[in-house]
Amino acid sequence: MRPPTPTTLRQHLLCAGGLVLVVLTAPFPSLQAVVHSALVLTLAPQPGAPLTGALWALAAGWTLELTLRLPPHLGGTAWADLTLVLIAGWTASRWPLDGPKDWLTRLGALTVLHVLLLHWMVRLAAGPHPWGWSWLWTLLSLPLWAWAAWRLLHPAAPTGRR
Amino acid sequence: MSARAARRRWTRAAWRRLALVLLWLGHGAWVLVGPDAGRSWTRTADTLALPAQGAARQWEGWRARRRDDGRSLQDLQVENTRLASDLAALRLRDAQEAPRLAEAEEAVRVLGLRKLMPLQLSAARVVFSTRPAAFGGLILDQGRDHGLVEDQGVLAPEGIVGRIWSVGPTQAKVLPADAPNASVAVMLIRSRATGVLQGLGGSRAHIRYVSNQEVVQPGEAVLTSGLDRVFPRGLLVGHVVRVERGELELELTVQLAAPLDRVSTVLLLPPQPPLEAQQPFVQPEQPKPVGRKKGTP
Repeated sequence: MRPPTPTTLRQHLLCAGGLVLVVLTAPFPSLQAVVHSALVLTLAPQPGAPLTGALWALAAGWTLELTLRLPPHLGGTAWADLTLVLIAGWTASRWPLDGPKDWLTRLGALTVLHVLLLHWMVRLAAGPHPWGWSWLWTLLSLPLWAWAAWRLLHPAAPTGRR
Repeated sequence: MSARAARRRWTRAAWRRLALVLLWLGHGAWVLVGPDAGRSWTRTADTLALPAQGAARQWEGWRARRRDDGRSLQDLQVENTRLASDLAALRLRDAQEAPRLAEAEEAVRVLGLRKLMPLQLSAARVVFSTRPAAFGGLILDQGRDHGLVEDQGVLAPEGIVGRIWSVGPTQAKVLPADAPNASVAVMLIRSRATGVLQGLGGSRAHIRYVSNQEVVQPGEAVLTSGLDRVFPRGLLVGHVVRVERGELELELTVQLAAPLDRVSTVLLLPPQPPLEAQQPFVQPEQPKPVGRKKGTP
């Protein structure tokens, strides 16, 4: 059973809240990375409106770089977020979700791809840089923020528990 | 038609897709340009400007070469002008020095002749020449104050010039040997026939009183005979240029050896010189070998 599609207003409000959280969690880079990934991979993608999702992803990427990082050249994170949100929107429209397990599996794959793409494009933009451990916290906390996003986007959908 | 126009018309979804593509490509380009976008743009602009810079370099080189060529041409022209002025100055100085040089050369030759002749010779300078006029002569810068008297022989290194005709206090007039009223006792070098040289003008003269029995050939030298007591024997007068046999005597035309029109320095013979001016050749005495006395080993 497919969950109902969230309303546009609700999704925009969630994206705005996620963006505010990205700004507010700037003193905690690991937490900010988790919030940033959740925003880009779960809240921003909209199957019917790719441009809107792309704009939210770009806003998330530029906000992250402008609030936290001081690389010699910005833009790598925003480009990776834009690419990922387009891929996520396309997969969502191509293979609609059937439940939380699909959601979690797809998010896991997208997170790994996001981490790799993010570091590669930042490397392209700003050169070699230390990876840090934010990616590990993001992957470890994936069930938590995936479940939270599922609940926020689909409050009426079943949680998968019987 | 309307369907075709509708197909051509862009939908909102197409515009959105275009915006997405432009966003993605723009970010990609921004990322790929790298951290030093200014340097990348500068490098790109430099690459694009290479042809223009090459053309400008060629143009500047051409202008520099043209400027250098013009400068070298101007330098050459200035140097040419300077060399031309130097050449003109050298020619002028050469022309100014030429008479003095010729005079010096003639003085050297006169000095050499003076050393050769065993007589008390004195030198004089020709200050003026009236030879182009009828019965003209040469004016010397010495006269009675230097002890000159009439009928002194006048010599040049090439041959005899004439004799002193009149003497003034400071100047003397020379009657050249080619004057119609001049006469010099001469002899032919081969036949030893003697005669009297009389002037014809134009550095020519003829010899009278030479028997037509004499054998004379053109080119034969004519010397003074010393019989007139003006010139000693053996001084060169000239050379025979024409020989014609007359009824009683030969008609000999002589080209005088001395350049009467160009002579500037002359030597004056003493009055009444000896007949022979040259030193008699004396065989040096050879030491006689000492004979051995009889009885000595």
